[in-house]
Amino acid sequence: MIEVAGFRKRYGRHLAVAGIDLTAAPGRVTALLGPNGAGKSTTIRAITGLLRPTAGSVRVVGHDVVRQPLAAKRALGYVPDRPYLYGKLTARELLRFVARLREVADGEARIERWLGAFGLAEVGNELVETYSHGMRQKLTFAVAMLPDPEVLVVDEPMVGLDPRAARHVRELLRGHADRGRTVLLTTHAMDVAESLADHVVVLHQGRVAARGDVADLGLAAGVAEADLEAIFLRLTEEAEAVAPPWRDVTGEPSRSRA
Amino acid sequence: MARRDRGAEPLPRVRPPSLLALRLRAVGHAVARAPGRHLVAAIALAAVAVGVGYAVERGVRWIDTYPLIGSVADAALRRSVEAFVTVLVVAVAFSVLTTAITTLYAAGDLPLLLAWPLPATTVFRLKVVETYLGSAALPAMLTLPVVAGLGLARDAPASYYPQAIAAVLALFALPVAGGALLALVLVRLAPAGRVREVATGASVVLAAGLVVALRALRPEQLAALTPEEFEAFLRDFAALDLGASPASWAAAVVWQAMGGGWSAALPWLLGSAVLALVAIGGAAAWAYQAGWARSLDGTARRRDPRPRGAAPWERPVARWGPAGAVAVKDVRLSGRDPSQWSQLLVLLALAGVVLVSTASLEVDGQRFRDVVGTLNVALLGFLLAGVGVRLAFPAVSLEGEGWWLVRTGPVGVGSILAAKFATAWPPILLLGVGLAAAQAALVDVSPNLASAAVVAGALASVAVAALGVGLGAAFPRFSANQAAEVPMSPGGLLYMAASLTYAAGLTVLLAYPAWATLVDPSGPLWATPAGRWTAVLAVAWTAAFSLPALAFGRARLVRHEPGQD
Repeated sequence: MIEVAGFRKRYGRHLAVAGIDLTAAPGRVTALLGPNGAGKSTTIRAITGLLRPTAGSVRVVGHDVVRQPLAAKRALGYVPDRPYLYGKLTARELLRFVARLREVADGEARIERWLGAFGLAEVGNELVETYSHGMRQKLTFAVAMLPDPEVLVVDEPMVGLDPRAARHVRELLRGHADRGRTVLLTTHAMDVAESLADHVVVLHQGRVAARGDVADLGLAAGVAEADLEAIFLRLTEEAEAVAPPWRDVTGEPSRSRA
Repeated sequence: MARRDRGAEPLPRVRPPSLLALRLRAVGHAVARAPGRHLVAAIALAAVAVGVGYAVERGVRWIDTYPLIGSVADAALRRSVEAFVTVLVVAVAFSVLTTAITTLYAAGDLPLLLAWPLPATTVFRLKVVETYLGSAALPAMLTLPVVAGLGLARDAPASYYPQAIAAVLALFALPVAGGALLALVLVRLAPAGRVREVATGASVVLAAGLVVALRALRPEQLAALTPEEFEAFLRDFAALDLGASPASWAAAVVWQAMGGGWSAALPWLLGSAVLALVAIGGAAAWAYQAGWARSLDGTARRRDPRPRGAAPWERPVARWGPAGAVAVKDVRLSGRDPSQWSQLLVLLALAGVVLVSTASLEVDGQRFRDVVGTLNVALLGFLLAGVGVRLAFPAVSLEGEGWWLVRTGPVGVGSILAAKFATAWPPILLLGVGLAAAQAALVDVSPNLASAAVVAGALASVAVAALGVGLGAAFPRFSANQAAEVPMSPGGLLYMAASLTYAAGLTVLLAYPAWATLVDPSGPLWATPAGRWTAVLAVAWTAAFSLPALAFGRARLVRHEPGQD
């Protein structure tokens, strides 16, 4: 369970998140959507303890992330949007480090299981710096899943993954939620969100613009039969309206707008 | 497109962008983003430059008026400048290897720049300039105050300064080109994926060897010469011919300009520099695009997919829990990252220099030996402070972009700092205690003073490691590319100020054991109340620096957020 209440984050004069309330319940996949700069990454970073809220509270399985950080982080698995890992460790050494850091009981067995699950067993003794972007992304998932976390937070899950791995990750996230775990993901891929999410929260300019399942959002947006992409575009059309006209930038009209 | 053609209005010609101007603009933005940090750095650099220039100016004026060496002063001075510059040039040639590999062949922006509609040679010329700035800017900035001080001392005309500056800047271009040429060979011949390790190892070993070799010349022998012998030495030194080396060309330009003339060596030097840099830029452009740099690619050896378990040494450390996990990971990373393990080679070279210096001392009489031993211990504190800035201060920052993995894990910042301390302290302790004991044995000091030296070495290692880890955590730079960059910050200056203050205080506290040993070399020291108080005060002094530094670092790191450094 993730509970975000009255969360605000200010960087100097810039208000990145203007106060949001959000709950990601166990047994569900919750998708956090929003255009660039809506406050998704800031919210995710507050949930994972990388940022401190300017106001409000963030709780993970009932533990306040600021006041009880260790208890909250013990329940948390995190996949960041960019898979920065220690390049001078091998995949096995990295996973062993995570197993020790999180005090996983049967670490070695789980390491081999997750390396096998992502097709990395053959290259498990190679340095991470020799991996491609997609392999690193798979390894980051293995890092997050190794302790079987109660709460899994995933920032842009499909970036760099090949189609087979992308399908595997979808099944993984769905299966994790079906086992009663909490899954919160952010993505710009509307098809991923639509196929996976039980609950969607749309952020816009640092606030919650809408929430609910896809049908609820369609009703809220006034496009009941549309897909999530159309709903999302309608909900955030205000932002589109203030965006610079594409004609001025390229000298030609945008095909998507034509 | 057709629509645009119908407009019949020709598009204005756009000048290709200046890559150098783009880089300068980026530097301008970086300065504007953190003006305080850059102002402090500029002031520190200016202070060093003024200090060096003033010292040279006073020194040269003194030499010019000294009657004994007046007849050969000018030639001896010229040879000294040549020797100084030669050492710097050799140092640049060694250190440029890794910089050249990174900027010319492995820079992250190369694919983007080469995709632009620009000639590849233009891109690589920019990269050569970056290589020059990255490896030779600091030695050049150190040399410029020397030639300025020289000019001021000799009342050189205004035309001297531009000529001297041009000669210095051109001089350092030559080792840069030489080092880049060696890099070109290395990226072809080094084992696959290991070129940076080979280059770093070669650079550090050669540079450390140079320092130890220079020290092994034992310049203090000059102090033992009679006035006649010294004058004879100066005449020999003044007559020394370094041959047609770049350093001697630069010296010819400087001396000619000092007299108000123009040396033919200047266009020769400038021409060689420009030609060498342009040639190396062209060679790098060809090598990059022709796939010559194959050693940068990943490993080609056969993979062993069998699961490899933990090494035996990991298990006892890992029992320490999450902090042990961090410590094991840090030891592994240090062993594989050339920018980290090379620090240990530097430590060995440093220890070699100190021991060569100590062994060369010839002191008669127990009292004088004890005085020298006391001075050695005092210097040891300052030496360890310098070591800590490379070994302990960067410990937290070296987490780099993998910091999120530790920070989102269930491990407290206090435990992280404990792990960092546990990995940074042992080499500093080994150096502190080892050097203290070895120096005491080499000088043959009294047993009391030898024990005080070992205790001081151990305590100083604790303080230096704690100050380094604590203040390094308070001012982390996770975006730094290597350990050497991390201390270049206000936090680094604070560390140096704090550790030097600590070392000075420890020296004052050592005054009692030193005095007691001089008064009664064989009397009891630690058994007396004063001796015990000295020990307690030394421990308290160490704790007074170590614990607040670690607490300050912990408090700041807890509040650190991504993008703050």
